[in-house]
Amino acid sequence: MKSKIMMVLLPVLALLAGTLAGCGSDTTKESQSTSSTTSTSKTEATSSDSPVTLTVEVFDRGIQGQPDLNNNTWTRYINDNFGKQNNAIVKFVPVPRSQEVDKLNVLMAAGEAPDISFTYDSATVSRYSSMNGIMQLDDLLDNNGKDLTNYLGEKVLSYGAFDGKQMAIPAKRTSLAWIGMFIRKDWLDKLGMPIPTTRDELYNTLIAFRDKNPGGVDGVIPWGVAATGMNYGYGNLIDSFWGKQSEEEFVTTPGWLKPGNKDAFKFLNKLYNEKLISPDFALDKTAKQADADVTNGKVGFFSANWDYPLRQNISEPLKANVPSANFVPIDTFKNDEGKYKKIAYNENGVSLFIPKSSKNAELAIKYLNWMSDPKVLFFLQYGQEGVNHKMVNGIPQVINQTGDNMQTSYLNLDYTLVVNGVELGDPQKNIKALAASAPGLEAVAEQSYKINTTDTYTGFFFDTPNKSNIKFGKTLGDMNNQMTDKLIVCKPSEFDSLYDKLVAEYMAAGGKAVMDENVKIYKDMQANKKQ
Amino acid sequence: MLNHTDKGVIEVKTVLDNNKNNLPMKKKISSFHSIKRDSLLYLLLLLPLAYIIIFKYAPIYGVLMAFQDYNIFEGISGSEWVGLDVFNFIFHQNSFYRALINTLALNFLDLVAGFPAPIILAILLNELRYVRLKKLTQTILYLPHFLSWVIIGGMVYLMFSSGGMANSVLSSLGLGNIEFLSQKTNWLIMYVGVGVWQSVGWGTILYLASIVGINKDLYEASDMDGCSRLRKIWHITLPGIKPTIIMLLILQIGRMISIGFDRPFVMGNSLVSEYSDVISTYVYRIGIGSGDFSQATAVGLFQSIVGLILLVAANFIAKKIGEHGIW
Repeated sequence: MKSKIMMVLLPVLALLAGTLAGCGSDTTKESQSTSSTTSTSKTEATSSDSPVTLTVEVFDRGIQGQPDLNNNTWTRYINDNFGKQNNAIVKFVPVPRSQEVDKLNVLMAAGEAPDISFTYDSATVSRYSSMNGIMQLDDLLDNNGKDLTNYLGEKVLSYGAFDGKQMAIPAKRTSLAWIGMFIRKDWLDKLGMPIPTTRDELYNTLIAFRDKNPGGVDGVIPWGVAATGMNYGYGNLIDSFWGKQSEEEFVTTPGWLKPGNKDAFKFLNKLYNEKLISPDFALDKTAKQADADVTNGKVGFFSANWDYPLRQNISEPLKANVPSANFVPIDTFKNDEGKYKKIAYNENGVSLFIPKSSKNAELAIKYLNWMSDPKVLFFLQYGQEGVNHKMVNGIPQVINQTGDNMQTSYLNLDYTLVVNGVELGDPQKNIKALAASAPGLEAVAEQSYKINTTDTYTGFFFDTPNKSNIKFGKTLGDMNNQMTDKLIVCKPSEFDSLYDKLVAEYMAAGGKAVMDENVKIYKDMQANKKQ
Repeated sequence: MLNHTDKGVIEVKTVLDNNKNNLPMKKKISSFHSIKRDSLLYLLLLLPLAYIIIFKYAPIYGVLMAFQDYNIFEGISGSEWVGLDVFNFIFHQNSFYRALINTLALNFLDLVAGFPAPIILAILLNELRYVRLKKLTQTILYLPHFLSWVIIGGMVYLMFSSGGMANSVLSSLGLGNIEFLSQKTNWLIMYVGVGVWQSVGWGTILYLASIVGINKDLYEASDMDGCSRLRKIWHITLPGIKPTIIMLLILQIGRMISIGFDRPFVMGNSLVSEYSDVISTYVYRIGIGSGDFSQATAVGLFQSIVGLILLVAANFIAKKIGEHGIW
């Protein structure tokens, strides 16, 4: 009998111990957050004793053959030139590119987010900001970020202000092109066809690709895509169907409600059912299959980021597999007004922020301030002359490297957090250098950039966080992707009813709430402007 | 030595002194002794106990999040209490009901297809005469259990996508393509089938163990009576493992509401999301993806409560029909 009591007592006691331990850990967390405000000033005092560790987020893109993200030419340069001078060790915390927000949420919740964290998802920044989990940066920037403020300028910084407070530091984006469309010129030449300039012409070209298989490949894919959400997309095809709207309507309504949107999907649905689009694209959740199809020379046309075919992971295998393959940029989705309307980036890139749990806020700003020095930026983007780049007509040209010298992202995007794109201090030079970053494909690059910065519009910036978007944004984003795939794949006879059903579901699942709040914020902004 | 004898004397004394109500006293001493005697065993017990407490009981504290507007930076102690608002919100979401229904439906299909499979397989294995073949077969059947779902998902994609092996074979036979993974009903069959393939071998272990426990005399007696193999299976083997079957069935029903994350997540795709979006992927999307930990916790809590109800109900029914329950 008694031994049974012990059996019960033991777990109960241990349980108590467990809960006590739980409480303990909670209090330490609290003390940490309260101490963080006082400890920001500590960094200077400690310069004589052991170095401070400044943690900085970095994307792990899982590139084949990538060097240690914490010990390579670039991190050593940073530590030698910034770390030593400030008695600090700059440590990089890798976050998988594809789980950017997910991983960040976990790190933030655990109070372990790097001193300099970042995300491309501005809804996430406004969520952290409204939860009061990140630092307000106005004073820090005034005191330690003069060069940084000058470099970025008021316009760029305004994208990081929420409710009038500077909560994030947006990187400066120097190249504003976003999407691009590419077609196999060598296939067109073989068929004796011109470069398509309208939807219908593209349609005929795709049919010719399908029926005549100019590349002589097994399983030709006229238009290569992957599951929506990863790299591949439909370019500005959908935009080209949209009808006229007032500015207010255009910036506040989701794409699904825009006039003409349904026709756009009907067109894509037709293409899919006529076997002009990758057959199993919806299963290709990582876009690996699409990449393989493109680099194996099976794909005739695709749309992805404006520089996609210039990227090393596409251009090199393609050249090895199909030396004659020649992707050229085209503009083919003309709307009723005769324009090739397409979205481009705003002048801001990734959003940097400092979590409240950080003890090194001042040092973090100093780091970014140091980085905005043109000399530093130049080295981080282009490295050493003769090793990482060569000068041609005063324009640096990247020499692709492997191992220690390898850049895991375009011009070390993931290390040069204050800038997104080439930074040579002069827009004209930037574009030239941009083109030079793809040896052998300069003309393609320059042309693609030109096409994809013509007839552009940019995403509207709401200066107040949209609470509904914070709550439903991720769900709606996922729905968006699923709806796109479903509507393209469904049977043509089911299309109309499915479209209406899915859009109704989307609006009910938060789409309407987000739209209503958008309208409200927009109206407030207009009212403020008039004052 | 002296100590030892001293202690012995005292012990004897106490027992003698409390002669009249010696029963509890004696018990106390014996329980103390038994703990002392088996102290090593108790020490060993601490380890699994600690595991259960740290990973199963301690996190229960986090359930409080379901009743808060949880702020990841403030923690549980600093977040605002909102009562049942979170549940109220969830129960008004269509996507939640879809995830709930899918979870139950997928698990039900798994139960229908996946529950009898290991029983049949165990009986078949048991009938194998050649021991080495039996061992070999068993090992081969266990293997898929140790594969990660990510790998299985990749294999399924390679084999059953439209350009995959299965479709190449079908089309070379002139049977045309089958959309194994992008058409909803086919996907369901694939989901269940792959699940059975993965778990059937592992599932036989318990049944084989309980078949071994069946009294051999029964088989010999039935041999004398001229029983056929099927008769023996029907009248001896199956009744012999019936308690095991019932127990596993109860456990399975208790798990009806909970579903692993990897299998639906890896196998699902946007075209079949009507079926593949289940509670675990819903919680992942809401909790980790949108950072709304309150909602995710509330869904998790709801899931646990329904699971408990199902378990108790299944146990109750099992007892009613004259079987041993799990408690």
